[in-house]
Amino acid sequence: MSKAVIEVRGLYKVYEGAVPVKAVNGIDLTITEGEFTALKGPSGCGKTTLLNLLGGLDQPTSGSILIDGIDITELSDNELIDFRLHNIGFVFQAYNLIPVLSATENVSFIMLLQDRPKEERLARAEQLLKAVGLSGKENIRPGQLSGGQQQRVAVARALASKPKFVLADEPTANLDSESTSKLLDIMDELNAQENMTFVFATHDDRVIAKAKRVVSIGDGKIISDTAK
Amino acid sequence: MLKLAWRNIWRNRGRSVITIAAVMFCVIFAVVLRSFQVGVWENMIHEIVGNNFGYLQIHEDGFWADQSLDRTIDFNTVNVQELLSVNGVDRLIPRMESFSLLYHGSNTKGSLVMGIDPALELPGLQLDDILLEGRSFSRDDSVIVVSEGLANYFNVGLGDTLLFMGQGYHGATAYGAFPIGGIARMTNPELNKQLVLMPFQKAQYMYNCTDRATTLVVAVNKDSNYETVGAALKGLGAEGLEILEWKELFPEIIQTIEVDMAGGRIFVTILYFIISFVLLGTVIMMVAERQREFGILISIGMKKTKLAYVTLLENIMLIMGGAIAGMAVVKPVQFYFKYHPIDLSGRMKEAIEQYNFEPKLYTTTSFIINLNHGTIIFAIGVLVSLYALVKIMKLNPIESMRS
Repeated sequence: MSKAVIEVRGLYKVYEGAVPVKAVNGIDLTITEGEFTALKGPSGCGKTTLLNLLGGLDQPTSGSILIDGIDITELSDNELIDFRLHNIGFVFQAYNLIPVLSATENVSFIMLLQDRPKEERLARAEQLLKAVGLSGKENIRPGQLSGGQQQRVAVARALASKPKFVLADEPTANLDSESTSKLLDIMDELNAQENMTFVFATHDDRVIAKAKRVVSIGDGKIISDTAK
Repeated sequence: MLKLAWRNIWRNRGRSVITIAAVMFCVIFAVVLRSFQVGVWENMIHEIVGNNFGYLQIHEDGFWADQSLDRTIDFNTVNVQELLSVNGVDRLIPRMESFSLLYHGSNTKGSLVMGIDPALELPGLQLDDILLEGRSFSRDDSVIVVSEGLANYFNVGLGDTLLFMGQGYHGATAYGAFPIGGIARMTNPELNKQLVLMPFQKAQYMYNCTDRATTLVVAVNKDSNYETVGAALKGLGAEGLEILEWKELFPEIIQTIEVDMAGGRIFVTILYFIISFVLLGTVIMMVAERQREFGILISIGMKKTKLAYVTLLENIMLIMGGAIAGMAVVKPVQFYFKYHPIDLSGRMKEAIEQYNFEPKLYTTTSFIINLNHGTIIFAIGVLVSLYALVKIMKLNPIESMRS
């Protein structure tokens, strides 16, 4: 049986205001190693909030999130940053690469933060860029790459730190069909070859179709959880 | 990290250029302003002190506080050779200064009498340069040179004789009659109303002060520092003499300079405030522009302290670049106005001339001014950059990424 990478228990996130909003309303979820999971649902259903909570970018109102047995809700701000650096890879909707760094430098930057030796950084960046089909584009800066290529660099960056899992928030939202298809194939391959765990927040049917598990969210709750 | 900071600088060239230019121009303005202020004073001190009174004077002990002829230097007891042997002393210029009542016809006037040796004197008392009419005098001459105002008061001209009546050494009567050999214009308006210059030996004789002088002005070698020379002279421990620097002789000049400098400092402080807000504006702009990027970097695992360090490094490089550029660019300006001073005209010229100051604006070329203002503006820039650091330390990555 696969090991649980993420265990969410009784998770709530309430935004206080004149009318409190329960963005995450009592979620229990376990994601095991090597899963390719899509969190689907309409805009405002709470999937991005859940993803932010899983990534330690936001603090829940109550509940626990165990990652490899560590409850990240109890970590301090600095401990969380360090935890993210070594355990979680992020792919954002808007790529969010560092514009002044080349593709290789963007990928190796996260390893620089991990204080890995230069040779290792360069070798892994080259290997990852090759894996996402960007050989020959190593020294090009993000501004000179297409949206699809930038998102592939973002995927390579997310994997560079050898994370326990990758969280991707609407990774295909800004991509055309061809780029989406290529990106999904790459992530599918990485999932299959490296047993990398992926969790997507999406409402893109093409991503949902590729996912091996689909968790439907509505009003901050899990409506359905289907494994293919 | 250094590479990242360096590249970030060139990411938004416009912002970087604004920051560098703001710092550079502030340094230039501050340095130019202070250079003129210090330069004008330097020049005035050189003119008044260096060319007329001397940076160092030697008197009989207590003379400066109680200027009586009974406290004159006795050449029979003072070892002049020992004073001259001090390193940096070019020559000693003897002067005999006192007051006399002057008569001509039915007019009288109290006047300042100065016995000088024109061959030894400082440039400001080189008679040939200040004479309006007539001639200078030599050591053995019997003629005097009177100031323009005094000549006008008595309505006298060349060849007319003035009578002197006063008190000499130990209460002796000091009197004499001297023909006017020249009329001079003194730049100091007070002196121009009442000064009489006569040969040093004649003044000694009239005041019954043979072998005596009220003052020995120390002419310092060009490449020597008067303070060092003064310290060396004091170090001789010559008994019965006081060795005074110009700052001790004319403390009122120092006070005037301090008041003027304080005004300048207020102006420069206002300039500093303006630059602080300009720099703060660029830092706020930078933080707002990169809010999202900061959020991403923290999300992927960059510690806030490290991010703050990179951002501070960027700002330090920009501000330092601006400060160094400002300090360098202003240097030729300082040199130009040092040797091509601005000539004042009109009422400003008249007002300044009344105070015996040359109506010209000089700059100083002292690099200390550049260094001081460059450093202060750099420190202000670093201080203002703390805004970015505070924002980064308080940053919420989710909110930043939404921005």
